[in-house]
Amino acid sequence: MRQAAQLVDVARSKLMASLAGLVLVGFVIVHMLGNLQVFEGSDAINGYASVLRDMPIFLWTARAGLLTAVVVHVGLTVRLALRNRQGRPVPYTLRRYRAASVASRTMALTGSLLLMFIVFHLLHLTVGIIDPAAPHGMDAQGRMDVYGKIIHAFRNPLYVGIYVGGQLVLGLHLSHAVSSVFQTWGIAHAALDRLFKLAGPGVALFVVLGNLAIIFAVFLGWVRT
Amino acid sequence: MKFTLRIWRQRGPNERGGFVTYPVDDVSSDMSFLEMLDALNQRLIVAGEDPVAFEHDCREGICGSCSLVIDGVPHGPDRGVTTCQLYMRRFVDGATITIEPWRAKAFPIIKDLVVDRRALDRIMQAGGYISVNTGGAVDANTLLIGKEEAETAMDAASCIGCGACVAACKNASAMLFVAAKVSHLALLPQGKPERTRRVMAMVRAMEREGFGSCGNQYECEAVCPKQISVRFIALLNREYLRASLTETRLSTRSDSSHGESY
Ligand code: HEM
Ligand code: FES
Repeated sequence: MRQAAQLVDVARSKLMASLAGLVLVGFVIVHMLGNLQVFEGSDAINGYASVLRDMPIFLWTARAGLLTAVVVHVGLTVRLALRNRQGRPVPYTLRRYRAASVASRTMALTGSLLLMFIVFHLLHLTVGIIDPAAPHGMDAQGRMDVYGKIIHAFRNPLYVGIYVGGQLVLGLHLSHAVSSVFQTWGIAHAALDRLFKLAGPGVALFVVLGNLAIIFAVFLGWVRT
Repeated sequence: MKFTLRIWRQRGPNERGGFVTYPVDDVSSDMSFLEMLDALNQRLIVAGEDPVAFEHDCREGICGSCSLVIDGVPHGPDRGVTTCQLYMRRFVDGATITIEPWRAKAFPIIKDLVVDRRALDRIMQAGGYISVNTGGAVDANTLLIGKEEAETAMDAASCIGCGACVAACKNASAMLFVAAKVSHLALLPQGKPERTRRVMAMVRAMEREGFGSCGNQYECEAVCPKQISVRFIALLNREYLRASLTETRLSTRSDSSHGESY
């Protein structure tokens, strides 16, 4: 019954996973806001990208930080999820949920899909090895033509489909995750609890709608080329 | 009323279990769920069969013994009641009712619908108490406690330790149980001196017993017969954080006032 093998420090793992998750939440918000500059035309977004690239120390620190956050978050949540699965070796024949949302019950699934999407996204738009036909050139000012890449990507219904799927998965994960963080850190308050509950879906909607606006605006040709 | 019962039967801890279907009729709508099972058992005994084992004691919702998952919900369809306080009038005549035991690795099946819940006792032994010197009782009202704190502590103290929270949780986590016990004591002056040691010891005991971690899904609160709020889980998390921060300082001094190590 009592197995030493199970002595994972569960409570602490959960806190660390949550902290790393919070870093990622911060990132997806900033990432979305930064990308909205597509609507200001090629000069704005290419300028933004080159400012980031002109600060290699900042850029690589941020990348290392994000990578650490992903590794910590994925490593700990996967370990927790596997351990939790062992908590009930014989499943119920009949199961009726009263309170647990679909998003909360599919965190491991949406997390895993999200990881696949993140890898794909990095290979596609950061490394640039998914789509050989994508423009890899410079713009008129000799900056990396991020704008051209985005336009090229989201004119293609295949990529639109993949990214929309990625956003749905991100939205589900965030909608439980952000509300959950308050509880994990013991932040509860009689009057504010409702706000904390709404924070998850609120943040999820904010990030997903922002990202979808970019994707669909490009696809429908509302963004100037 | 008539029902078709699908009941989990299992001869012993290491036997294979399975569902057995029993038709029951002549059920009065005023019978409690357990009385309905009593009637079935009477019939099985008369027929020379093995009666269905299920746990019960007070039958008035205070002892926490009764423990059935009825149609996929611990303690059945009514909110805020234990299985023993559930009445047959709550069900549709002619319905099929599925009855399963609490299912969790930390709650191994003893027989049929009876599970071993001593894991919860061991968590209590790890820290769910206060240490007081024996002697004459303290005069009443020497320790003043604010109304808010007293009420909140009583809300937490209403936990009867039935384990429905574990049974309902996707991860079979005992967080609501531990939260209720830790909060109840941490809120009162008598419990404060040992709060740091207590929360660490109880959380570790919970992890040792193989309960899962909390996913903040709140299924526990929705089935709790005493409707204990998940805000106590937030309080437990705060207590744990506070203890983690102070523990490093404490461990340099010797904090084994009870000779217990954890
Ligand atoms: C943009 C990427 C991601 C963000 C912003 C994010 C954010 C979060 C946050 C804030 C939580 C809540 C922690 C808490 O309850 O306090 C969480 C939980 C979780 N995440 Fe992620 N996550 C991301 C990616 C992933 C990935 C790639 C996986 C993995 C395979 C994953 C798996 C999980 C799981 C299983 C949980 C539930 C943990 C639990 O409740 O015990 N996440 N995530
Ligand atoms: S038998 Fe005591 S609570 Fe149900």
